[in-house]
Amino acid sequence: MAPSVHYHCPCLSNSTTPPPPHLPSSSYSFHPLHTLFFCEECDAVRCNRCVSVEVSTYYCPNCLFEVPSASVRAEKNRFYLFVHKMPCNVLTRRRCARNCFMCPNCRNTLSVVPSDPPESGDGRLAVPISTVGEPPFFLYCNHCRWDSAEVGITFEKPTGLAAQLQKFEDSAPDSLEFERLKDHFEPFIRASSLSSSTTSHAVAHPSSAAHSHHLHSNSITAAASAALARDIPGVGKYNPLARSTSSRGIGVSGRDRSVNKDEMAEYRSRVEIAKASVVGTGGGDADVEFMRHLENVSEVASLDQRWENSWVTSLQTSDLKPLRIPLHSKRSKRCPACTHILIKPEQKAQSVRYKIKLVAANYLPAITVALPHAQKALTEAAKRTLGKSTSAVEDDKTPATGMVAGKTYPFHLALTNPLYDPIQVRLSPQRLNISTAPSKDGPPEKARRPPFVISLPTSTFPIAAFAEAWEYDDDEDMFGVEEGDDFGIRGGAREKDGRSTRSKTVGVLEKRANVTIVGGEVVIGKEAQGNVKFNTLVSYTYRSDDPAPSESNDGDGPSIPQGNKPPEVKTFAFYTVIDLGPIIPREDSKSVPDV
Amino acid sequence: MPPIRDKFTIHSKAVVCQDVELKGDITIGSGTIVHPKATIFAIAGPIVIGMGCIIEEGAIIVNRRKEVMRIGDDNLFEIGCRVECPSVGNFNTISTRARVHHTVRISSFCVIGAGCLLVPTEDEVLEDYTVIYGPAAEKRVWSGRGKVQEADLRRKHAEYLKEMLPKFNRLRRGEGT
Ligand SMILES: [Zn+2]
Ligand SMILES: [Zn+2]
Ligand SMILES: [Zn+2]
Ligand SMILES: [Zn+2]
Repeated sequence: MAPSVHYHCPCLSNSTTPPPPHLPSSSYSFHPLHTLFFCEECDAVRCNRCVSVEVSTYYCPNCLFEVPSASVRAEKNRFYLFVHKMPCNVLTRRRCARNCFMCPNCRNTLSVVPSDPPESGDGRLAVPISTVGEPPFFLYCNHCRWDSAEVGITFEKPTGLAAQLQKFEDSAPDSLEFERLKDHFEPFIRASSLSSSTTSHAVAHPSSAAHSHHLHSNSITAAASAALARDIPGVGKYNPLARSTSSRGIGVSGRDRSVNKDEMAEYRSRVEIAKASVVGTGGGDADVEFMRHLENVSEVASLDQRWENSWVTSLQTSDLKPLRIPLHSKRSKRCPACTHILIKPEQKAQSVRYKIKLVAANYLPAITVALPHAQKALTEAAKRTLGKSTSAVEDDKTPATGMVAGKTYPFHLALTNPLYDPIQVRLSPQRLNISTAPSKDGPPEKARRPPFVISLPTSTFPIAAFAEAWEYDDDEDMFGVEEGDDFGIRGGAREKDGRSTRSKTVGVLEKRANVTIVGGEVVIGKEAQGNVKFNTLVSYTYRSDDPAPSESNDGDGPSIPQGNKPPEVKTFAFYTVIDLGPIIPREDSKSVPDV
Repeated sequence: MPPIRDKFTIHSKAVVCQDVELKGDITIGSGTIVHPKATIFAIAGPIVIGMGCIIEEGAIIVNRRKEVMRIGDDNLFEIGCRVECPSVGNFNTISTRARVHHTVRISSFCVIGAGCLLVPTEDEVLEDYTVIYGPAAEKRVWSGRGKVQEADLRRKHAEYLKEMLPKFNRLRRGEGT
């Protein structure tokens, strides 16, 4: 895998320092830059884990018809409240109600076509000029040539297909079961909405209205799942109690369940599963019989053709029905702290633009990492494959691009400034041997030597401002110009722990347009394992248009108090995790003499 | 192998653009359209193309066998496809960048989907109405519903090209004309 740089969002913990890179929690706290947002109000990075999401429109990706959220909710969404935590996913599906269908065989979009005129019957295909098709119409897949007439579905007119198909869908076992469930829960919804208005639950639990609502919907969910999970033959007994006791508020939910049990009658499914041994209803014997007389594998619908359905469906290819196209949604996202909108798409389905777009890439410098030795090896390998044409080259490619324990490798960080003003950047790698572990784990943690040591320029360096014109520069020789650059010498000389030989490797290597490339170095221990992966604090100062704020930072962003800079200069800092890739352990024969 | 002798027999009602690569013994039937940058190589044996075929840009048709490679009528060879079949029937579609090996014989009304690779090691015949589609080159049989309308469209497509291509391209003529 290519080396990567991910950015920290501190939303998962109270601390602004990220978890050490070797912990599993690290991957949950770091994200690619292009997935992050930036809240100007809070002066902080926000990620998809912490933002709150709202759907602004539903639309059909095929006909681009916008479906008002209200009508999406109207019919099934009330029930959706109950089931959204259960595996009955089809009940919550939203699908285009117009003429859009997917091929059940290959998932391509189906088109409505008329039938051919009757054949003359003289063998040779008669091709009349300007054929006009005639009814009946059918749905046709241009890709795999499946058509709905194969499964007996044709239409008298080419419009209003959804309505014409409705009767098939309404008589499907999953729709019938859904209706039955709805009928079953309807009185309970009515009763519970009444009781919640009289705040009986809120009184029982002394907390805010929002909290009581949460508990309330929890109890509904619990009741619904209890009813749904009752005695399915062949399935282990489901115990809702065991599950919910682990969640908070044991007493309250326990009490609620006892109340609900009294209110709700036992749900009986429409069809007894054990007796449903008929073809098309997931029956055991009938399916066995079908399989026994199978002549061609293609008679059986493949698993991926069937698993979209929540209900057990027929095994037979000849029973596949056109699928409605699921709606897509356009979503807005808000900052969890101040509720300001971070991103908001234009309402229209046709538009791909945004009304508001506060993405982190417009605020933070973009950082990419490269290993020069790996790049060199790759280009050489590419040249060789061009020259010859055998696959033999691929075998020795891997060792050349990897990092072997006990060796030292240079790496390049390219930082790109997205701002219209120049910035000053400072990189501070987090020391690996800082004991972040609890004290009892302390001694072994300290005794172990760090598997690798990172050197990066510790002084600040500038990155020029972004200008639109630079976008058109070709950046083909962005890398590999490091030789004979005087920046390198300067950067190395300022190194605090500067070992003199590193002058060309560690430091600022190149400045071009709004990109600055700095060199770093990793010294890998002889017994090192795992990935060369380390956290680095990146802080940068920029000219601010706002009057300088009081630096009373409440922990939303790791801002650094400014020193004696002019007041219009601000500093922002963020953590990144840089992963240079795996360490290749040294061969045993080699490592023995060293020990 | 003896050097390939070129011999092009192009029907007067065929439209073959100047900028095509032809090699060997090739016969092109009436109403067949060959776009510029198409390649037809009769390496070992001759190639005979029937009527009303459309051979698009970058399509490559190769005969590696001694026997005559016969391509029937009204076939569509889409952009960048490569066909080495010893025989092709009528009304077939070879989609963009599809590749069919010389071990495959194509009957009629078959569709080879875009990018599909058909390279069986054993000789194989695609029966009428065979459809090859998808990344795994899956196979199914088309009901044939809609074939009259599709054939009609193919004819119109060829008619249009016959009219438009000569306006923008110099044409190649067969020997003797
Ligand atoms: Zn976050
Ligand atoms: Zn639609
Ligand atoms: Zn299909
Ligand atoms: Zn905010």
